[in-house]
Parts: sequence; C-alpha cells; structure tokens
Amino acid sequence: MTGARLVRLYAAGRRVPFAVLAIAACAIGLRIALLGHWDDYGALQLPLIFEAAAAVSVAATVPSPFGEQERVAGGWLPLLRLAVTVALTAAAIGLLSAAGAGGHLAGGVLDAARNVAGITGIGLLCGAVLGGGLSWTGPTGYLVAAIYALYTQWHPPALATPWLWPARPPHDLGGALCAGLVFACGVVVVAVRGARDRPGDPAEM
Amino acid sequence: MTAATTTPAPARPRPAAAGAGLVTLRLLWLELRHNAMAWMLPLAIGLFWFTTYRKDMAMPPLWYLRAAGLQSGAVLDFAIPVAGAAAWMGSREARRRVADQVTITARARWARLLVPWAATTIWALAGYLGCVAVLYGVTAHQASWGGPLWWPAGVAAASLPAFSAFGFVIGTFLPSRFTAPLAAIAAFFTLAISTNLIQGSVSSWSVAPIVTGPWDRGPQAGVATFYPFLPDLSIAQVMLLAGLTVALLGALALPAGSGSRAARVVAAGLTGAGLLAVATAALLTGTGTMDSHGMIRIPALHDAASDQPLQFTPVCSDTAIPVCLNPAYASYLPATADALAPLLSQLAGLPGAPARIVQVSTTYSQDAGNGVTTRTSGSRASGPRSAIPLMLPDQFPGAGTLTPGQMASQVFAAYGPEIMARVIGDGPAASQAQNTVAAALLLAANQRGLTTGQSSAQQGGGLDASWSPDFAPGTPEYAAAHRFAALPEPARRAWLLRHLAALRAGQITLGQLP
Repeated sequence: MTGARLVRLYAAGRRVPFAVLAIAACAIGLRIALLGHWDDYGALQLPLIFEAAAAVSVAATVPSPFGEQERVAGGWLPLLRLAVTVALTAAAIGLLSAAGAGGHLAGGVLDAARNVAGITGIGLLCGAVLGGGLSWTGPTGYLVAAIYALYTQWHPPALATPWLWPARPPHDLGGALCAGLVFACGVVVVAVRGARDRPGDPAEM
Repeated sequence: MTAATTTPAPARPRPAAAGAGLVTLRLLWLELRHNAMAWMLPLAIGLFWFTTYRKDMAMPPLWYLRAAGLQSGAVLDFAIPVAGAAAWMGSREARRRVADQVTITARARWARLLVPWAATTIWALAGYLGCVAVLYGVTAHQASWGGPLWWPAGVAAASLPAFSAFGFVIGTFLPSRFTAPLAAIAAFFTLAISTNLIQGSVSSWSVAPIVTGPWDRGPQAGVATFYPFLPDLSIAQVMLLAGLTVALLGALALPAGSGSRAARVVAAGLTGAGLLAVATAALLTGTGTMDSHGMIRIPALHDAASDQPLQFTPVCSDTAIPVCLNPAYASYLPATADALAPLLSQLAGLPGAPARIVQVSTTYSQDAGNGVTTRTSGSRASGPRSAIPLMLPDQFPGAGTLTPGQMASQVFAAYGPEIMARVIGDGPAASQAQNTVAAALLLAANQRGLTTGQSSAQQGGGLDASWSPDFAPGTPEYAAAHRFAALPEPARRAWLLRHLAALRAGQITLGQLP
C-alpha cells in the first residue's frame, strides 16, 4: 500500500500523467499522419518527428520538483526513476507501434522502438548533464541531424554512421546497438544521479 | 505640524523619455545576460555546420546554390533552438512562481514580456548572422563572379523573430516542463509538413520559409546566373513571417490585465493586421508560377526590370574553337575546354565548323499537372549562326554534384556528336562514309569508343544532340574508322579540307577513305 502510494506521489510530482497524455497525443498524431499520402521524405520524417516528441515527453519527467530534500530522504528514488523511465519508454514504443499498426509506418515497430529508445536516452543524458528543464535540447538537436541523415539517403554522400540510427535500416545491428547503448547509459545515469538541479530553476512545474 | 500636513506634496517628476529608454535598455541588457538562447547558440551553430555549411560547401561556388542552401538549412537549424529557448523564456515567470510578484510592478505586462522575447531574438539573430558571414565570406572567396543574394538570407533572418514569438507565446500561455520541447518540435513539424503539402512546383504552401523556388525541382545551378534573382517569393515569405510575428506578439497583450484598454485594442489591431498579412502572403504565393528562368514569379509582387538578362563578359578558352562560359562558371572552363579541345582542334577551320561554343541559360516551362520541362535557352542560340549553344551538365535538374572528370565526360558525350554532325553531316540519313569519318574523328579525339553510342537523354539532361554511329567490330565501317583515326592529324585535316564537300554530298564511298 505504501509502495503504491509512493509510486503515485512520484508520478504526480514528475507529471507522469501529462507525459502519458503527450505520448498518446503523439500516437494519435502519427496515426492521423499515416492516413495521408506522403512522399518518400515525409513517410520517413514524420514518424521520426512523432517519435522524438514522445521521447522528449519521457525525458521531461526526469526533473524533480523537490531537489535536495527528496534526494536525501528518498531511499527508493533510484528504483522509482528507473521503473518510471523504463515504463514510460515502453509505453511510448507501444503506443506509437499501435498507432502504426495497419498503416504504412516506415521502418515498422523495430524502427520506432530503436528511435524512441535512443532519443529518450539522449534526453536522459542531457537531463543529467544540463538539468532536467533543458533535457529537450539534445533530442531536438538530434532530430534535426537525423532528418538530415535521412535526407542524405537520397542526396549522396549518405551519412552512414550508426550513431545516426534513424537513417539506418530497421534491422541494422550497429544502429540498434548505438541506440540501445545510449538508452542504457541514460537510464543508469538518471536512475543513480537523477537530473541535475539548477539553482535558477528550483521548482519544475 | 498643520502646515506640514496641508502643504501639497511636490509632484513626482515624470521620467523623461530618454530615461525610460535607458531603463528599457537596461532591462534588455539584463535579459540578454540571462537568456536561454545564448546557451542554445552552440547547438544551433553546430547544427548549421553539420547540415547546412557542409552541404553548401559541397556545392559549386555559385551564389544562388549557396544562398538557397543557406535559407533552407538555416531556417531548419535555428527553428528548434529558437522556438524552444523562447518557450523556455516565456514560461519563466510561471516556472519560477514569480508571476504574482511581477504583476504588481509598474511596467505593463505586455511591455515586460516583449523584452525577453527581444533578447531571445537578438541572440538568435547574432548567431545566425555569424553563420551567414562565414558562409558568404567563404563563398565570396570561392566564387568567380556575382555577389551575395540577400533576399534568401533575409528570409531566414525574418524567420527567427517569428519562431521566437511562436515559442514565447506558447511558453507564456501554457507554462509547463513539457512546453519548451513540444514547442520546439511543433515548430519543426510545421516546417516539415508544409513542404509535404506542396504538390508540383508552386502552391500556396511554397510560402513556407524553407522553400527557395519551385519545390519539386530543388535549387538549380544555372538559376539567377544569366538573369537576376527574382525576389517575389522571398517578399511573400518575409510578409508571412512579419505578419506571424506581429500577430503572435499582439496576442500576448490580449488577455485581461496585460495592459491598458488602449494597449489591448492596439494589440488586437496588430494581431488582426498580422493575420491579414499571413493570409495575403499565402494567397499571393498561390498565384505564383514558375518563370522561364526557373524562379517563382508572383504577378502582384513582380518587377519587370528583373526580367532583363544580366550583363557579363564571358570567359573563353584558347582552344582552336573558343569555348565561352558565363564568368560564374569560370572554374568549369578548364575541364570543359579540355574535354572538347581534341575534337575542336580537328574541326577548326573546316567549312561549317562553329566559330565559338557559347554557354547559354536553361529555359524552364511548366507543363500540365505542374510538371517542369527544361531546354536550352533560345536567346543566345539565336545569335551568330557560327556559335553553338552549350549547357553544362550542372545546369540540368538532378545533375547532382559532378567531379570535373565526370562533367568533362558528359560534355563530350552530349556535344561531341552535335559538333561533329554540324561539320561532317553524319546522322541516320547520312552515307556510310560520313558516319565512319565522324566516328573516326571521335575516336581520334580519344574521348569515346566506336561502340559506346550515348544519347544525351541518358545523361539526364534532355539535350538535343545528334545521333552517333555504333559499329560492331569486324564490320567494314569499324575497320575504316580505325584506319582513318590512325592517320596523323595533319593528314586527316588535309583530306577533310579536300574532300569535305564531297563527303557531305554523299559522293565519297567507304572504300575511298584513306
């Protein structure tokens, strides 16, 4: 009972319900987008934008509204951070995959899972380094670079580095490993340390 | 005591206008020092280098290509950092829970909010102008002719206040930890989806600030080289962006308590005017068509003076028959001349040989269904009969970036047979001897084999080159062509000078070839 209450309070403090709503909105947006007839660029770029939006929603739950006090008193905090972050990422992958079911989701479920996990990992690492409020800077910047990498698939020389995994095929092992590594690092760092507290932003909304 | 209480208090001096200006400047200075956009600049500049600068530098040093790449790239690179940082700044009062404290200050809410927006925009513009300075500076160093195109750079600059206002308004009205990232992605999504809605070359969606010309063709190397850059689309885009900025900033003052009643009325008027400008810009763009020079012409914004060709002195090679290019293509001259020189040296002075080969512009025409056809411009081809019009492979859509060797190969494949046909008269209706001599001369030029007949259509250019003969090994034509090609060049020229008229008249048989 206490554990459930703790999880509920933690989720409320991190605005997890809003994050779930935002992820659901991304899934609905993706579903609507898939109803349209897009050119090759659009078919690859639009899903990636929704995946990035879902990923930044997950990363935005990292900042703590309580800061030092919670860190000192919260013995279960690392586990809560780990569980909530992984659960939200899984929810994002699941919802986006469900939105793409029956539609022409470029790359399919594997692509969506890899992209969401990898970009979420970037957001988590940014939250740990720059502060939770600025965790979005890495994923959004990465989105532009990834869109450009997709563009180069039509306009050589193509960028083929696995670190720009959205431009790699869904079954590409290198891209999957890079995305997985970034996600794992992000989850571990955030679970252990949490987001960096910035003195100027004491209360995250 | 009584006197003290009845004496009216001295009127508080009204702040002088200059003093108020100084206060605003001080406030702006404070905002500049604490603005999130300053911390976003490394991200924006890094993205600019990664996606725009590198791509632009891989293109030929032609001003239109570089400027178009700058506009599209910079808008995309700066959209996310600027919108995100502005949303972050817009949500600051709510995030730090000081909204109540600043509400009671003397300055109106609207005026107070405009200062962080201005600071965000100033930082963004400073970073962007630095990027423009570097890219245009390098291009000025590399380009052989022409000058910077400021309209594309201006469109990208005008997009920054608009993105800043977009993010700031969202951040102000919907403050939360999710606002900045979602505003940034929404700005990027809007740009991405706007171009996906463009069907064909021109539509109302072309007003999106990342569009620099007919969308389905992409930037073409020859555009704005023989004719001036048409700013019609750029004007419409600046109108859209300025209108959007004004409308969004006006919306900041609409809620009750944002300012005096008069200020709110003015803000409502500004919002309406801004939205009107946005709608007008989109409608005007919808009336645009692609002109014959590959740019978008909007009748209501068009200046007829822009239709006059640019004046330039061509750069010419010192080959036997000069090859003359637009000075913007001066760096292409050695490869082009080298490709054609072996052939030109054999044909120079022969009856029917061209006096010059002159580069001409591409003519674009819009087909039914919004498709586009390109062909050689007739304007210069209608000059002296002895000049052959030439278009470089780069001037054709989809040519991509070619190495000098690839370009030389394509130029020879496209124009060698045409020049040859003009002198020798070879072709489907020509005699065996004519076709054999033509093939021999091409072989002698060491540029193409007897069995590699390539039409210019295969080059993706659609040039109107002549037919070229294909001879199978072992045939009499094959042997005769090799025999003729093996002659010393003076002997070939001497034979051609004596027998060219008879050869063109079909009076020479294969057996009479030396």
